[in-house]
Amino acid sequence: MHRFALLLATTLAAVVAPSAATAADPAEIALTIEENRFQPEEVRVKAGAPFVLVVTNRDKTAEEFESRELRIEKVIPPGKTVRLRVPALKAGTYPFVGEYHEKTAQGRIIAE
Amino acid sequence: MAATFVVTLREGFEAALLLGIVYACLDRFGARDHYRWVTLGGALGLVASILMGIAVTLLSGPLLDLGPDLVAAAVIFAAVGLLTWHGWWMSRHAQALRGDVQRRVAEAEATRRLSVLGLIAFTGVFREGAETVLFLWGLVSQTAEGASWDRLAGGALGVATAAALGWAVFHGGTRLSVRHFFTVTSVVLLLVAAGLFSTGLGKLQGLGFLPPADAFWDTSFLLSDRGLVGGFATGLVGYRARPTLIEITGYALYLVVASALFFGGRRATGPR
Repeated sequence: MHRFALLLATTLAAVVAPSAATAADPAEIALTIEENRFQPEEVRVKAGAPFVLVVTNRDKTAEEFESRELRIEKVIPPGKTVRLRVPALKAGTYPFVGEYHEKTAQGRIIAE
Repeated sequence: MAATFVVTLREGFEAALLLGIVYACLDRFGARDHYRWVTLGGALGLVASILMGIAVTLLSGPLLDLGPDLVAAAVIFAAVGLLTWHGWWMSRHAQALRGDVQRRVAEAEATRRLSVLGLIAFTGVFREGAETVLFLWGLVSQTAEGASWDRLAGGALGVATAAALGWAVFHGGTRLSVRHFFTVTSVVLLLVAAGLFSTGLGKLQGLGFLPPADAFWDTSFLLSDRGLVGGFATGLVGYRARPTLIEITGYALYLVVASALFFGGRRATGPR
């Protein structure tokens, strides 16, 4: 239980105070939503290294970034940018969609 | 049209299911005049969803990055707590609840049950409410700017279909005998709450509060959790095509503990 509390506390600290970590800032990868499509649709990242997806919605309507694999479900209001912290991934393909426009808004993260 | 229909039906199904069950519970308690608690809870859930939708569009920076997710996680675990309490309460008072109508009303009122049903309605609506509000608002503004009515009509039809399903749950529930009703309700709430619990754990994993993990198995070739059927299975029993070990363990643990709470005490307190 103690170990869990400690883990929770350190994770909280890591999430709430990201500016404190300067040496090993995770890589930032920009992703744009425009005309209900992701740009780029394919993102390549290094396997085993956490990163931050910086997603900007340039459309006039909200979009929901969703990846069942990454357990991310995030509404992005029109004109806004959100930063999604993604933990280190094993090599593989991780699809994501814009849930509000699933037909067109599709992409994938390839960890290699 | 079909795409937007699926989105709102999927988002609205769980709320409709819970509303149908709690209204039916009041009917079975013989406390129809207390429907207002559930109506109030559902209405406040809708208001909170709209406010949350507005707040999200106003927020930015770290507040937007993390705030809505923390609220969402809190709502999920609050809903699990309320549903567990409700199931446990029903099993403890099974005997009185199977008695005559007056006794059921007296029992339910004496232990202040009815406002908890309102809270369940609130969390049920609020859980996916803000997302649905933002989605529908997007459809409205697109239509206002000259897009075809198709997508908006699909979205509205999805909400209406979810509501109709909720009504069917209510109607079916009130047709069951009191004894069967409480058994069926307990089983359904058990599965819904187990699914919510594992969803909450998955959310904590996604947010980095619990260690991330790979999918423990993959049944997406059998049933995708993105389609309509998979969406229902997700709302009803917490189906995940690619669950992590933490989600599976949480689900199983919840089932064991809550089954004991929901069904263990019945032999001691309830009649045959």
